[in-house]
Amino acid sequence: MRSIRCLAWLAFSAVLSLPSAWSAPATSGEYFVYFGTYTGFTYLREGLPAGGSHSKGIYVSRFQSSTGKISQPELAAEIVNPAFLAVHPNQRFLYVAREDPASLGPNFDHESYVSAFAIDPSTGKLHLLNTLPTGGTSTCYLSIDKTGHYVLMANFGSSSVTVLRIKDDGSLGEQTAFMKHIGKGKDPFFQSKAHPHSIDVSPDNRYAVVSDLGLDKVFAYRFDAAAGALSPDNPPFVEADPGSGPRHFVFDAAGKFGYSLQETSGFVSVLAWDASKGTLTKVQDAKTLAPDFVGSSDSAEIAIHPNGKFLYESNRRFRGPDLWGPDTIGVFSIDPEKGTLTEIEQVAPGGTMPRNFAIDPTGAYLFSANQVSGNVLVFRVDSNTGRLTPTSTNLKLDVPVCIVFVPVQK
Amino acid sequence: MRPIRYALCLVIAFGLAVAGVETAFAQGSDFFLYVGTYTGFKWVHHSRPYGLGESHSKGIYVSRFRAATGEFSEPELAAEMINPSFLTVSPDHRFLYAVSEDPLSLGPPLDHSSYVSAFAIDSLSGKLRLLNTAPASGTSTCFISMDKTGKYVMLANFGSGSVSVIRVREDGSLGELTSFMQDVGSSIDPRIQFEPHPHSIVVSPDNRYAIVSDLGLDKVLVFHFDAQTGKLSPPDPRFATVYPGGGPRHLTFDPSGKFAYQLSEMSGIVDVFAWNSAKGVLTEVQRVQTVPHDFFGGNHSAEIEVHPNGKFLYESNRRTKSEEERAPDTIGVYSVDPKTGMLTPVEQSLTGGIMPRFFAIDPTGAYLMAANQISNNVVLYKIDASSGRLSQTGTEIKVDTPVCLKFVPAGH
Repeated sequence: MRSIRCLAWLAFSAVLSLPSAWSAPATSGEYFVYFGTYTGFTYLREGLPAGGSHSKGIYVSRFQSSTGKISQPELAAEIVNPAFLAVHPNQRFLYVAREDPASLGPNFDHESYVSAFAIDPSTGKLHLLNTLPTGGTSTCYLSIDKTGHYVLMANFGSSSVTVLRIKDDGSLGEQTAFMKHIGKGKDPFFQSKAHPHSIDVSPDNRYAVVSDLGLDKVFAYRFDAAAGALSPDNPPFVEADPGSGPRHFVFDAAGKFGYSLQETSGFVSVLAWDASKGTLTKVQDAKTLAPDFVGSSDSAEIAIHPNGKFLYESNRRFRGPDLWGPDTIGVFSIDPEKGTLTEIEQVAPGGTMPRNFAIDPTGAYLFSANQVSGNVLVFRVDSNTGRLTPTSTNLKLDVPVCIVFVPVQK
Repeated sequence: MRPIRYALCLVIAFGLAVAGVETAFAQGSDFFLYVGTYTGFKWVHHSRPYGLGESHSKGIYVSRFRAATGEFSEPELAAEMINPSFLTVSPDHRFLYAVSEDPLSLGPPLDHSSYVSAFAIDSLSGKLRLLNTAPASGTSTCFISMDKTGKYVMLANFGSGSVSVIRVREDGSLGELTSFMQDVGSSIDPRIQFEPHPHSIVVSPDNRYAIVSDLGLDKVLVFHFDAQTGKLSPPDPRFATVYPGGGPRHLTFDPSGKFAYQLSEMSGIVDVFAWNSAKGVLTEVQRVQTVPHDFFGGNHSAEIEVHPNGKFLYESNRRTKSEEERAPDTIGVYSVDPKTGMLTPVEQSLTGGIMPRFFAIDPTGAYLMAANQISNNVVLYKIDASSGRLSQTGTEIKVDTPVCLKFVPAGH
C-alpha cells in the first residue's frame, strides 16, 4: 500500500520536474547517481590540486529518493578525467567531457575528448559507444540540446564552443558548429583570454547561452536544431561586471529568466529572457558574499529547485595563499513575477571546494560534490522553505566534480 | 588525320616531359588547374593591407592547362564559395577539399569559424559538385592537406592555434573530427608571435608522421599519425626549432623522402632537415638565407616546393621596402645536392606580378605557375630541366586574388 502511494507521488512529481518533449520512463523512485571526477593530470595548470587523485573514472550509486538511501559508489566506467556529465533526454545515454587526458603542457596543450556511453538499465554500468575530440582543450562543460541530437561543449582552454551531432544509436558524429571567442577581461591572470565555461540551450531550443569567464560576457547564439549550427545573435552578448567571471547559467522552468553565476565576484545576475529575440536584460545582481569578506568567491555551480521556488549556488572561497573558505551553498528564494532573488541562508557544504552539486529530480535532496575533501554530502531540502539540512549520508569519493541523476527504469 | 597527328605529337611531348619522373599522369597532358582565391572578408585581421576586402572573386576557378604546349583555357568558376584560400586533391583525383577561411569573421569578441568543404570533381568539365561542409574546428584556417590514404584531411588553424584532422567517408564527404591539437606558447616577435600560429600540416612520405610548421612558436612540430584512427600524438623529441623570429610557414619533403625543406616566412630562411623516418626526427643540415644581404625591408616568404625530378627547389618571396613601396617579389631557385640534400643558389627570378603567395609546378615538371595575390594574375614560367632556371613565357591568366593552385589530370 505504501509503495503504491509512493509511486503515485513520484509519477506526479516526475511530470512536474521533467517538462521535456521526452516522456519520462516509468520509474520506481530509484535513480542511478553518476559522479564525474578528476583522475589526475599529466601537467598541472596553475597548480590545480588534481594531481593526487586516486579516482579511476565515473562512479555510480543507486539512490532511493523516497528514503534517501544510497549505495556505495562503484566504478561505472574507467576513463581519464570525466570532468562533466550530461544525460540524454531519453535517459539511455550519458555524455562525458574528458578534460585534457594527456595534457603535456607547452608547447602541447593536447586536446579534450567527449565520450558517449550507453547506460545499462539494470546495473547502471556504462558501455562505451565512442570517443571523439571535443575540438578544444580543457573542455569543462557539456550539455545536450532538447531534441537529443547534439552535444554542446565549452572549451575553457582554447576559448571555443563546439557542437557535435549525436547519431540515432547515441554515438557521436561530426562537428556541426565551432565558435571562437577572442579578447580578454580585467583580471590579467584569469582573464588573459576568453574562457567559455558553460553552454546551455534555451527552453525552446532556439538559442544557446555561453558564459565566458575570460571576457565577462554572456553570449546568446541562435541555435539551428536542424543543422546543429550556431550563429551570433544581435546583440551577440550581454556584459557582466568587469572581473566578475561568468561561469554557469541556468534558465528558470518557465523560460522567463536566466541566472548567471559569476565565479570571481560570486554575484548571481538575474536576467530577463526575451525568448522571441534571444536577449538578456539585467534585473538584479544578487550578492552571495558576506559584506566583510575579502577575497575571491570562486563560485561554481548554480541550480533551480524543481518546484521553481528556490535557487542554489555553491562557493569555494579563497582569501589568499592557503586561506580557504568559508565554502558555502547559498539558498535564495525566487520572486515568481520579477525573478528576483532573496537570500535565505548560506550553508556549509560539509567539505572543501563544492565545485558541483545537484538536486535530485524529486527535489527532496541536494548532493554537494566537494572536490578537495573528497566527499559528497547529502542534504535534505525543505520544499517549503528551501532550507538545507545535512543528512548523515556522506560518500567518500576522490575528487568528485559533477553529479547527474538517471531514473532506474522498471 | 589532323586529330591523329595532334595526339601523336602530344604523346611525344608527354614522353619527353615526364622522362624519369614517376607520375600518376597517364591519360594525356591535359590538367585541370584549380585556383583558390580570397573572395573578401567582413573584418580584416590585424588590419593587414592585403586588399582582401576588395576581391571580386566568387570562389574556386578552373582552367584547362595543356602541359605539352603551355596553353591555358579561360578560367571559369568551378564552385561558388567564400574564401577558398587553400585546396587539396584526393590521391585518386576524384575529390577536392577546400578551406573556407573565416567566411563570417566578425571581429572581437567573436572570431567565428573556418569551414572545410568537400567537392566531387567532374572529370570531363572540371566543375566541382559540393558534397558537404563542416567546421574546421578552428579559425583562420589557412592550409589543408590529405594523408596518403586519402581517408583524412588535415587542417592548420592559424588563428586559433590548432590543427585538426577530419575523416573522409567512402563517398568523399567529410565525417567526424578524429584529432585536434592545440599548440601553446609564443616566440620573440611581439606583433605576431605572442600566440601559436600553425601555418601548415603535411604527412611524411610513409604516412606515419604529420609535420606542423608553427609560425608563432618558431617550431616545426612532429606528431605521430595513426592512419587507422586518424589520431595525432606527439612523439619524442617533438619538434625542431628554427632561427628565432623566423616564423615557419610551409614544409615540403623531397621526392626521395630523405630531406625536408622548411621555409620561414619572416626570416626568409630555408632550413634543410635530414628526415629520420624511423624515429620521426628532423635534424638540421643547412640553413639558407634567401633574402639578399643588401636588402632592407620586410620579407614574407610564402611557398616552397621541390621539382618532381628532385634536382631543384623553388620558394617564393613577398617583399616590401616600406609601407608604400613594394620590393621586387621573387621566386628563388636552388639546386639540391642529391647526397646531402643541401642547397646551392641558382637565381632569384622576378614573379611577373605582386605577392606570389603561392606557386605550383605542373606534374610534368615543365612549367611553374606563380599566383600573384595583389596583381590578380597567374603567371606561367618555363622550367629549364637541366639548370632549373625559370623563363617567362608571356602567358598568364587573370583571376582575382589567386592564392592556391592544384592540378588534376583531365578526363577524356
